[in-house]
Amino acid sequence: MAAYVHPEVLVSTDWVAEHLSDSQVRIVESDEDRALYVQGHVQGAVEIDWMTDLQDATCRDYIDKAAFEKLCAERGISNDTTVVFYGDKNNWWACYAFWVFKLYGHDKCRIMDGGRKKWELDGRAWSTDRVDYPRAHYTANEQDGSIRALRDEVLKHQKAGKQLLDVRSPEEYRGERMHMPDYPNEGAVRGGHIPGAHNVPWPMNCNEDGTFKSAKELEKLYIKELKMKRRSPTIAYCRIGERSSLTWFVLKYLLGFGNVKNYDGSWLEWGNCVRVPIAKGGEPGGAAAAPSAAASVAPSA
Amino acid sequence: MTSVTDRLDGIIEEFTDLDSREKLQLLVDFANGLPPLSPEHAARKAADNGRVHECQTPVFLWTEVEGGAARLVAEVAPEAPTVKGFVAILAEAINGRPVAEVAAISDEMLERMGLAEVLGMLRARGLRAIVARVKRGFAGLPTG
Repeated sequence: MAAYVHPEVLVSTDWVAEHLSDSQVRIVESDEDRALYVQGHVQGAVEIDWMTDLQDATCRDYIDKAAFEKLCAERGISNDTTVVFYGDKNNWWACYAFWVFKLYGHDKCRIMDGGRKKWELDGRAWSTDRVDYPRAHYTANEQDGSIRALRDEVLKHQKAGKQLLDVRSPEEYRGERMHMPDYPNEGAVRGGHIPGAHNVPWPMNCNEDGTFKSAKELEKLYIKELKMKRRSPTIAYCRIGERSSLTWFVLKYLLGFGNVKNYDGSWLEWGNCVRVPIAKGGEPGGAAAAPSAAASVAPSA
Repeated sequence: MTSVTDRLDGIIEEFTDLDSREKLQLLVDFANGLPPLSPEHAARKAADNGRVHECQTPVFLWTEVEGGAARLVAEVAPEAPTVKGFVAILAEAINGRPVAEVAAISDEMLERMGLAEVLGMLRARGLRAIVARVKRGFAGLPTG
């Protein structure tokens, strides 16, 4: 009888409906499409946008500790608030916001299972009220490096042949597509995947109604079929680290992987790095099998 | 009769002085105003004709001409009100005007509306791709 390893991180739409006026709870919507929140949100929910709120506008990084503290304070979130994230697209952006909150050490983070889709399917009400809470006091931790992988660490991880997951579409994984046809290239100069990475497109974690698949189904996918080990260090990536934050959530909390990180630099960094190994095609390719430009070129004086 | 550019300028002006939430609300209003597909276009959609494959959200779009007048017909999934509202703005500016005027649509319209800032760079890029797609669609049509 398989069950989620940390079921407490998921709350149901019923639970949220019962806690709309709970002052210890702050509901946060994060969407791909910002206009959805304006069109209608869960009563009392505040919006946190991954791009305009969570990203630093100058350095390619998340907002710094001071800006994160300000963001939380303005949304009426204190250190002891239970923050419940939900959103569109199977909670993809909700998981991204959850991950950033964990990066700064927020304790009580939850995901509303099923997100906007489930709330809609339940036939529940949407609110268009403007939401404003009294300013709270918030003190963030320094960034938690145990859930975020930076490039050099990913390179070492890859060379050591450790567990890597590419959660993009099969076309992106195989290197056939770096961007959509007729779409401006969003910046990667090479296509393919990090050698050794398995491809599990992120929607495979979710059901039609937006909820997460059962523990049994997720175990079958990652542990039985891909033979991944819960105790082995694991890194997940996608194009900019958004889709992979959902897979990170699944591995860490629903399946109980002990050491899993999100590589937010992802393909927009890796596909542009000079001399990092890349594999093409549908097979993972191993660390050993990887084309290594660096190894074949004699170091210059 | 005002040109496509004049009509767009009028819409852009409506956006200019709004705060970010009001801008998004106006987009939602435009999205709600996009008419449903005619039975003829619905049938074409069912045959997967008109699908804009570069969009993550399902977008179906047709650029047509009738007696020299341009007509932009589109259906956008309700879960993407930003795209839907933006397409509705383009349709309002374009429909009924000479096809040749479409090429004059400014590539700076998102900046002028203040939407580039509200949506962020990546989303704005997606909308710019739609403008390019619409202009390209009309570029190949007879102007007479």
